[in-house]
Amino acid sequence: MRKDKNLDELFRDKLLNYEQEPPAYLLENVLAGVSGARRNRKIVFWRIAGVAAALLLAFVAGWQFNIWNGQDIKQPVSVSQQIATEVSPDVKTQLENAMSDNHQQVPANTQLAELVTESKVAKSNSISTIKTSKSETIISPVEKLTVAASTESNLLKPLKSLFGLIRQKNEPVANLRQAQKSKKMMIDINEKTIDQQIMEQNQQLMLTENQVKGKAKWSVGAQVSPEYNVSRSSHSQVYASNMVSASANPVDLGGGISVEYKKGKRWSLQSGVYYSGMGQSSGNSSYSNRYANASADYASNLGKEYFNAPVNVDAITSKMMLNSTAGVIQFSSVPVGLVLGTNLEDKTLAASAVVISDTRFIQNFEYIEIPLYVRYTLLDSKFDVEMMGGFSSNLLVGNETYMENGVGRSLVGSTKDMETMNYSGTLGIGLKYGLSKRIYLNVEPRVKYYLNSLNSNSSVTYKPYTIGVFTGLSYEF
Amino acid sequence: MEDFKPIISDCIDGSRKAQSMLYHQFAPKMFGVCLRYAKDATEAEDNMQEGFIKVFTNLKNFRHDGSLEGWIRRIMINVSLEKIRKQHLLYPVEDVAIYDSVNFSDDVIAKIAADDLMKLIQQLPPRYRLVFNLYVIEGMSHQEIAKEMSITQGTSKSNLARAREILKKKVHENFGEMIAQNNYTA
Repeated sequence: MRKDKNLDELFRDKLLNYEQEPPAYLLENVLAGVSGARRNRKIVFWRIAGVAAALLLAFVAGWQFNIWNGQDIKQPVSVSQQIATEVSPDVKTQLENAMSDNHQQVPANTQLAELVTESKVAKSNSISTIKTSKSETIISPVEKLTVAASTESNLLKPLKSLFGLIRQKNEPVANLRQAQKSKKMMIDINEKTIDQQIMEQNQQLMLTENQVKGKAKWSVGAQVSPEYNVSRSSHSQVYASNMVSASANPVDLGGGISVEYKKGKRWSLQSGVYYSGMGQSSGNSSYSNRYANASADYASNLGKEYFNAPVNVDAITSKMMLNSTAGVIQFSSVPVGLVLGTNLEDKTLAASAVVISDTRFIQNFEYIEIPLYVRYTLLDSKFDVEMMGGFSSNLLVGNETYMENGVGRSLVGSTKDMETMNYSGTLGIGLKYGLSKRIYLNVEPRVKYYLNSLNSNSSVTYKPYTIGVFTGLSYEF
Repeated sequence: MEDFKPIISDCIDGSRKAQSMLYHQFAPKMFGVCLRYAKDATEAEDNMQEGFIKVFTNLKNFRHDGSLEGWIRRIMINVSLEKIRKQHLLYPVEDVAIYDSVNFSDDVIAKIAADDLMKLIQQLPPRYRLVFNLYVIEGMSHQEIAKEMSITQGTSKSNLARAREILKKKVHENFGEMIAQNNYTA
């Protein structure tokens, strides 16, 4: 022990104040480095200021865009009763007997016309007009995936060369042979003990790994997700009194391309372009008590029980409107194959007609999403666990309403007053598994919540949220 | 103690002349520090360059309540440590081989030139070199080393013992004749 202390002291005495003149060029390098660091600081400042200004500008522009859009369409839905009053009384049928059991819901003097406006167009015609837009819509994300797959195949090329490099590094025998060529190295190897050689090989391996890991700053990926939409909406009383309730489409498809920039060991910023489809379906699935009394009558006449979708039809232009939970569905005309009951004489009813055929209205909305997410790595190992959150701008690119009945599905109109630009917040947990040093498999459950109402109609607040499990591959470089 | 306040102030203002003066004041000693922590002169030069750039860019944070030399020295050590952490990774390889203990008189080491001792230290594996430097030359405790290097105190002690054994063996191999001569004269 004392000998060790003596050894330590001898080394300390000789090396503690050891001085050696460094090469002259070092000073120039240092001074150049210092002025470079000053310049970099200035550049970073201006860069941050630039990004902040751009974000502010984008926010203000989006806000303004929202306001301008709102000014055009901020008119509340007016459900006209004019048509009902204009209906000719020549075909009235007294319903007192039929309604005797429903005094509380329907006034005693309510008369309902038997006039049933039924489209006379043949079924063959209806089929020919059915559009296949829905199927096209579904194809579009698949096309995106194909693009992503081809990108990935390009990315595999540098990966193969990387594998080659690693394999080469992993061949200690080859390294040893190469080392033996040099006489100096040969002497060193003879001098070194076995463990020192192992240590050096380990260090070389770790150095290679470190260099590969250290350079990974960017990551690109492609993900796809089934999206489950949960409809959340509220409405004014007048609007709701003539509204059909809706159920969200069970599962829609979403996905896209992501770009991630790693800032430090744990933090990263992510953006990209995502497609997100969502929708809901309204129609005769739910039952409105308001029309229950009428349904009994129509049911007896037609043998059907579909009377709960109140609509307004303009007698002159034949344009039809239906209040849905997401907003007013506007039809360019009364769709072919739709059976309506009109001439409602109930003055308390806002609707001018009810749908009496087996019909469902499917509203589809498609968005292109530009997100800005912040990610934090909770667990950094072979199986990474990350938390992510952030905001997205969502651009409405698709707004279609389809009618589905016995003859198929056809495009019949769109939802009025849908905001072109929306903002949403997203939270999620990312699970990342390294398939290789560069390629990762990602599974990421996310919840997306729309911050503003998707519909600008003042009577409707429609803020659905979406739950999805994004699955895909990412490539780091 | 020399008053560096005016020169520090000029350095902060970006005066190249002041920066050169400060550099020349400490460069030889700091190069000595960097040499001890590096495997060769090239790595030491890199570390010193990076260290001095840090010194000049962080000089405004220097509080004049301590020694400037100590502050610069600490930066050089930190840069060297960080470099070893990044490049070599402190990969644990322990107790692989048992070294035969070599005994010789302390006078022998006293006769070896500082330059030669420096080379011996540079030949140590990175982790042993770090622990030996921090414990023996800087005078840090095993507890402090363990905290600095994210290892256990036991590992630090074991590494130090191993470093000492390797150094003794190297002395024996490189300066064997001197030892023999010393024993003969004794």
